[in-house]
Amino acid sequence: MIKASNISHFYGKEQVLYDLSFEIGSGQFVFLSGESGSGKSTLLSILSTLLQPSKGELFIDGEIISEIKNIDIFRQNRVGFIFQFHYLINYLTVYENIALAATEDKKQNINKILTELKIAELSSRYPNEISGGQRQRVAVARALVNEPKIIFADEPTGSLDSNNSLIVYELLKNAQKGGTTVVVASHDMNIENYATEVLRLRDGKIL
Amino acid sequence: MIALKALRKNLFKSLLIFLSITIAVMAIFLISSVSQGVIGMYSKMIKTDGDIIITQKGISDTFFSNVDISLIQKIQNIEHVNSSYAMIVGASPIGHIPIAGIYGTTPNHFSHYKLSSGEYPIESEVILGENLAKQFSTKEINIANRKFKISGTYKSEIGFEEGGVVMNIADAGALFNRSASFILVSSLSVDKIDEIVEKISKFNSDIEVKTTQNFVKEYNQFKIIENSSFVISFLAFAMGLMGIASVMSMIVNSRKEEFGIMRALGKSRFFIIKNLFFETALMSVSAYLFALILSLGILALLPHIEMLQGYVNGTLSISSALYVLASTLIMAFLGALIPAWIASKTDPILLINQGCA
Repeated sequence: MIKASNISHFYGKEQVLYDLSFEIGSGQFVFLSGESGSGKSTLLSILSTLLQPSKGELFIDGEIISEIKNIDIFRQNRVGFIFQFHYLINYLTVYENIALAATEDKKQNINKILTELKIAELSSRYPNEISGGQRQRVAVARALVNEPKIIFADEPTGSLDSNNSLIVYELLKNAQKGGTTVVVASHDMNIENYATEVLRLRDGKIL
Repeated sequence: MIALKALRKNLFKSLLIFLSITIAVMAIFLISSVSQGVIGMYSKMIKTDGDIIITQKGISDTFFSNVDISLIQKIQNIEHVNSSYAMIVGASPIGHIPIAGIYGTTPNHFSHYKLSSGEYPIESEVILGENLAKQFSTKEINIANRKFKISGTYKSEIGFEEGGVVMNIADAGALFNRSASFILVSSLSVDKIDEIVEKISKFNSDIEVKTTQNFVKEYNQFKIIENSSFVISFLAFAMGLMGIASVMSMIVNSRKEEFGIMRALGKSRFFIIKNLFFETALMSVSAYLFALILSLGILALLPHIEMLQGYVNGTLSISSALYVLASTLIMAFLGALIPAWIASKTDPILLINQGCA
């Protein structure tokens, strides 16, 4: 599913990732763990196609990412994102935020996902009218709407309390059980309980 | 839909763009309408009752032209000539009014000025345009240190004339020390105009004979007014453009996160550019309509402002309105171009970096 081949990355002259090679199989729940500055966010950015590695190649479903002509469409169809901060657009309702991410053929999924995530009653509310936990559930719904093959989550519970964190873990686990590959970068070691695979990073290298 | 909501969300900044477009469009509307109005009034004055105009050769403005009035006798004998009349056009302080137009004409042209009261003037008499008459309650007025009896008042569709006085050409000649500013000739047949022009040209080498149509097209004063209007309109356009570009840059900067989200969700750069253009186009069209209504209101008020004596008049044609609409849309497009381009280049990685551990 995902294959990283000799990936290195530099910010200016500073090297943050060192020749990383690994594979992530389909339907895995991967936990990217590491201290601050270990390079996990950079690695997540590269794996999620938001960042081109300075060296090496990334393959997703056998496709070389650097050779894909329209990365936007690739990203919209194959990848879902959850960020530490919910990053919902505040002048759009919950429904509209999810619809913004949905491709035309997946718009029919919106109501189903809202119901599954128990936020259907929030669909016409604006992000500033719901709680932090509810916002993150909306962010999960937005990531799931296109039924992506992979979901990348960067500190998805970083701004949530323990109860809401548990809800988000469960949602991600359910997605994985449904066949979606989930890659989570986090400080929160509780995720390890849900993970099928753990990639530990230190100083830009996999331990 | 997204565009509308985004505009509502950024209400203050959107309002700034709306206002800068409104002011720029109003300036373009008013300056072009007023200049077209001035040109239209003068053209109408010259074209009415005349197919051919005779002025002094090499003179840039009819104010400085001096043509021998006795030419009228010879012109009347040319075949296919219907009528001819002479005019002196000048300006002078009238009573307490610092400057007003003075039209000296041969009596056969008096009927052009529709009497609303009194009689047409004889020697040492004048009739006043209705706009000017509102400023005087006396029976006599002083023009260039000469006293004239007011014999009546007249109406005219031409604002210049409504704010001026009409007198006999002999009195005007004495005031301005000339025979006639120009002679206007009307033909019995449109087909014969060029032939008559040719014949009149042979009478005197000091005169310039043109069809009124050509005269209006080539008249230097009109070109000056049109060019000035173009320059001022261009400056208004440039100011509007800068207004849009600077506020759009602020908007884009404050919405970077939103564009980053869109890029991370797989929305193309074109999607972001298209949305920002649509937002600007929405503001532009609504500002254009608002400016159009305001300008029409101001143009309707202008002829009724006594202080302006009817000299400032504006006409707004459909073609001008469409031209300004096109200019507005171009202004919006150009103003939004660079900010939209910058917005579309927002790197979604900023969303991860902001929360980066």
